[in-house]
Amino acid sequence: MVLVLALGDLHIPHRAADLPPKFKSMLVPGKIQHIICTGNLCIKEVQDYLKSLCPDLHITRGEYDEETRCLETKTLTIGQFKLGLCHGHQVIPWGDLDSLAMLQRQLDVDILVTGHTHQFTAYKHEGGVVINPGSATGAYSSITYDVNPSFVLMDIDGLRVVVYVYELIDGEVKVDKIDFKKTTATTHSAH
Amino acid sequence: MSKEMVKEEAPSSSGVVSEENRPFGSLRSVQWRINLGILPSSSSSSSSIDDLRRVTADSRRRYAGLRRRLLVDPHVPKDGGSSSPDLVMDNPLSQNPDSTWGRFFRNAELEKMVDQDLSRLYPEHGSYFQTPGCQGMLRRILLLWCLGHPECGYRQGMHELLAPLLYVLHVDVERLSEVRKLYEDHFIDKFDGLSFEENDVTYNFDFKKFLDSMEDEIGSHSNSKKVKSLDELDPEIQTIVLLSDAYGAEGELGIVLSEKFMEHDAYCMFDALMSGAHGAVAMADFFSPSPAAESHSSLPPIIEASAALYHLLSIVDSSLHSHLVELGVEPQYFALRWLRVLFGREFSLQDLLVVWDEIFTADNSQLHRDSEDDESSSFKILNSHRGALISAVAVSMILYLRSSLLATENATSCLQRLLNFPENINLKKIIVKAKSLQILALDSNVSSLSSTFGGAYNCSKSAVVRGHSLSSDSVSPKTPLSLVPDSYWEEKWRVLHKEEELRQNSVGKQTPSGKKRWSEKVKLSLSRTESDPSPARAENCKKGHRSSIRRSLLEDLSQQLGLEEDAEKGGCLGASNSEDDHCIEVLVEGDNCTNKESICAAEERCESGSGTVVSDENSSIFSEPASPGSGTNDHENDTEKSSVASNLFIDENDDHQQSNLEDSPLPVSLPPEDVPLNSLHENESSGKMVSAMKERRHLSGRFQWFWKFGRNNVGEETSDKGGTNEAAKSPNHDCKRNTADSLTAGASRNSSSTSKGDAVDQNVMGTLKNIGQSMLEHIQVIESVFQQDRGQVGSLDNFSKNILVGKGQVTAMTALKELRKISNLLSEM
Repeated sequence: MVLVLALGDLHIPHRAADLPPKFKSMLVPGKIQHIICTGNLCIKEVQDYLKSLCPDLHITRGEYDEETRCLETKTLTIGQFKLGLCHGHQVIPWGDLDSLAMLQRQLDVDILVTGHTHQFTAYKHEGGVVINPGSATGAYSSITYDVNPSFVLMDIDGLRVVVYVYELIDGEVKVDKIDFKKTTATTHSAH
Repeated sequence: MSKEMVKEEAPSSSGVVSEENRPFGSLRSVQWRINLGILPSSSSSSSSIDDLRRVTADSRRRYAGLRRRLLVDPHVPKDGGSSSPDLVMDNPLSQNPDSTWGRFFRNAELEKMVDQDLSRLYPEHGSYFQTPGCQGMLRRILLLWCLGHPECGYRQGMHELLAPLLYVLHVDVERLSEVRKLYEDHFIDKFDGLSFEENDVTYNFDFKKFLDSMEDEIGSHSNSKKVKSLDELDPEIQTIVLLSDAYGAEGELGIVLSEKFMEHDAYCMFDALMSGAHGAVAMADFFSPSPAAESHSSLPPIIEASAALYHLLSIVDSSLHSHLVELGVEPQYFALRWLRVLFGREFSLQDLLVVWDEIFTADNSQLHRDSEDDESSSFKILNSHRGALISAVAVSMILYLRSSLLATENATSCLQRLLNFPENINLKKIIVKAKSLQILALDSNVSSLSSTFGGAYNCSKSAVVRGHSLSSDSVSPKTPLSLVPDSYWEEKWRVLHKEEELRQNSVGKQTPSGKKRWSEKVKLSLSRTESDPSPARAENCKKGHRSSIRRSLLEDLSQQLGLEEDAEKGGCLGASNSEDDHCIEVLVEGDNCTNKESICAAEERCESGSGTVVSDENSSIFSEPASPGSGTNDHENDTEKSSVASNLFIDENDDHQQSNLEDSPLPVSLPPEDVPLNSLHENESSGKMVSAMKERRHLSGRFQWFWKFGRNNVGEETSDKGGTNEAAKSPNHDCKRNTADSLTAGASRNSSSTSKGDAVDQNVMGTLKNIGQSMLEHIQVIESVFQQDRGQVGSLDNFSKNILVGKGQVTAMTALKELRKISNLLSEM
């Protein structure tokens, strides 16, 4: 019963002032165990705020991040799942599934979380899941026009992960969920 | 198969509980379930094993349903996933309180709290209690109970109540497995030498194995003739077998001793224990911070129960009680833990099981009281046999530590001893004593007594406190009465004496500080000079009859209480003879702050010309001697009680034949005529007063003195009205009667009154002199009491009391010296 929050591309303060208030009211400390952030926060204050929600915070570097010491990619294991994290501007074409699948194979993860496109997408692909949480603030994107604030909450329970997608459409929070079951348990063999 | 066919001897139940009450003596879990009301008791409905099984099965079903409902797994769709849940509401981050996720998180919070306690549960028996299986069960049970009772929530201590319940279930299951091993045949379906239990339904018929097992069977056939049919077994074993028969009523669910359903059974037992099963004592009440709905007091139940404990202790051993009260050891400091966990932390687990055997055997049904006790002050905890036994066990534990408690002089070490109950104890002794006290506890809960006890309790408590504080620092402002909230006892009394209450309300509050009393006294004596004596007389006679009822109350009271109460009562009684309502009320209020109030009230009523002036001086003066004396009077209880009782009896006759009081068997009482004349007309020296006082002291005890003092004051007061009035008053028969007891205080009044006779201007001075002289009198009285008591040591049972006498006397003497100095100062003014 591990709750993992995945979000990114906030672009605070350059393109957005803050998270939407409805999102902020939902994000209370104590419920979430991990936060993974794709990047482009951009400033330290946002990082501190996310840390206040949950002490276990993982960030990868986006192109506009002012924190230069973050890594480009990260992998972590939660429960039976291996998660991979990357901002996504490195993977071209931006948002292309096959390229992202290449990255997933490279990182050898079950769940790959990337951003940069400011669009929520979730694909089940080759026994894994590729998720794009979109932009949590709905910041302007050069790629797409219609940007709705969105983020993703993953509920990892054994071999099953339920992905809840929270989107702010027309001022209302819409929730959707996707179930994903892993077929085999993670083997901890060294390569 | 065990080859030693040693028949299991049924272990005799621990000798304290009688056999006929415990048909399942050796099976604690079954017995407790019957006692707690979950299972039908075999005596009531002559229920068979089948009934037991059915009830067991039902309760288990209920628990299983509860568990399914409340233990939320948000992953599992609620109704088979037919309708897609509303995700906006039902997502993990939803703030909606109704969402399953919200409930899940709330449960998680509760679980965290419970886990904190569980991790520290019974570390000394960690091999059972700290196993994950057991912890999981305990956690679930507590969680479900708290979810089912949201108004109580989870409080620390509930886990300690639950743990032994689970333990006894576990013990019984183990017993069952032992029996199974020995009497396998009754449990297993064994045909053709093959046991169906052990094989798969589609067993592979292995001939070789068959032959082998046949061999075994042949071997065991030789033993088979020793195997008895069910009826030939020990009745206890028989019961066990029947209770656990898989084919009995309700099948597997009905197996009363079942490992699979231990959690269910433990939950039922816990629930019954907490809710009291429609009885009087519900453990859940002890955890709630707010007063119970139907309780008459405004106190939380645990405080009320602790007060009941002290109340019982005061009846049984008032010296220990007053010692504890004096030190400021409030009962709830230790009783909170004792009662909330039902002594779980005081005894080792095995001892605790024995104690709980006793407690659960006691019936918990509410004892019905008469309807007039509705507004009663009876303690809720004492309203059932079980509650009375619980209180009795607690008191017997306190008594067990008696010597060490009396030896300590500060509250901290007392509490330390109480909270660290010794390990190696003679449990049987404690239980036997508790049983004897139980009867006492039940009796003491009768309303009329209890209400008086309430007042008296507070009376003694505050008197002792006053005495203590006075002895420590002579006339400094007394320590605030921070013990049991006065309002509780006041309330009790107000119920009984509503009329007085109305009149009382006109009076402002008076703190019972010594100095204030004196100022009041001055004021009153001043006022007294103005009031008209004769109406007082007439009224006194009229009001005489009213006091009789109260006197009977007071009689009861005095018989049971310590000296302080007696003294107060005595004083009030004395006053009441002249001014019935108010003084008794004064007494009744105990030595509350309101006692002082009522004294004031009484006094002020005099002002208003109700003619109850008599009470003024009486009450104020009484309060003074009460305080210095109270601290020292623990040991005087016995003697005083008897004297008080006799005095009270005398009082009853007082209404219209006050002179008869003098004719009482009390040798001390001087003939009525003599003394009043003396007091009225003679300017007696204080020395004479003292001697007269001392005489009385030796013979009748302080109570009587006060009582007579009151009467004297009546006479005095009249004499105070002015020297000229004296003559007029002397022929006044009432006056004579009142002064008949001719307490030296009365004589002092006379002397002061004569001095006052000069001029009103000098009244103030005279009053101050009065004060000084009365103080002196009191001091001398007390001193004489000491001397008297030394001689009366023989009447006391306990030698330890004598030791206390010595200690008390020392402190009292020092207090008296200080008082003497003050009185000297005053009289010189």
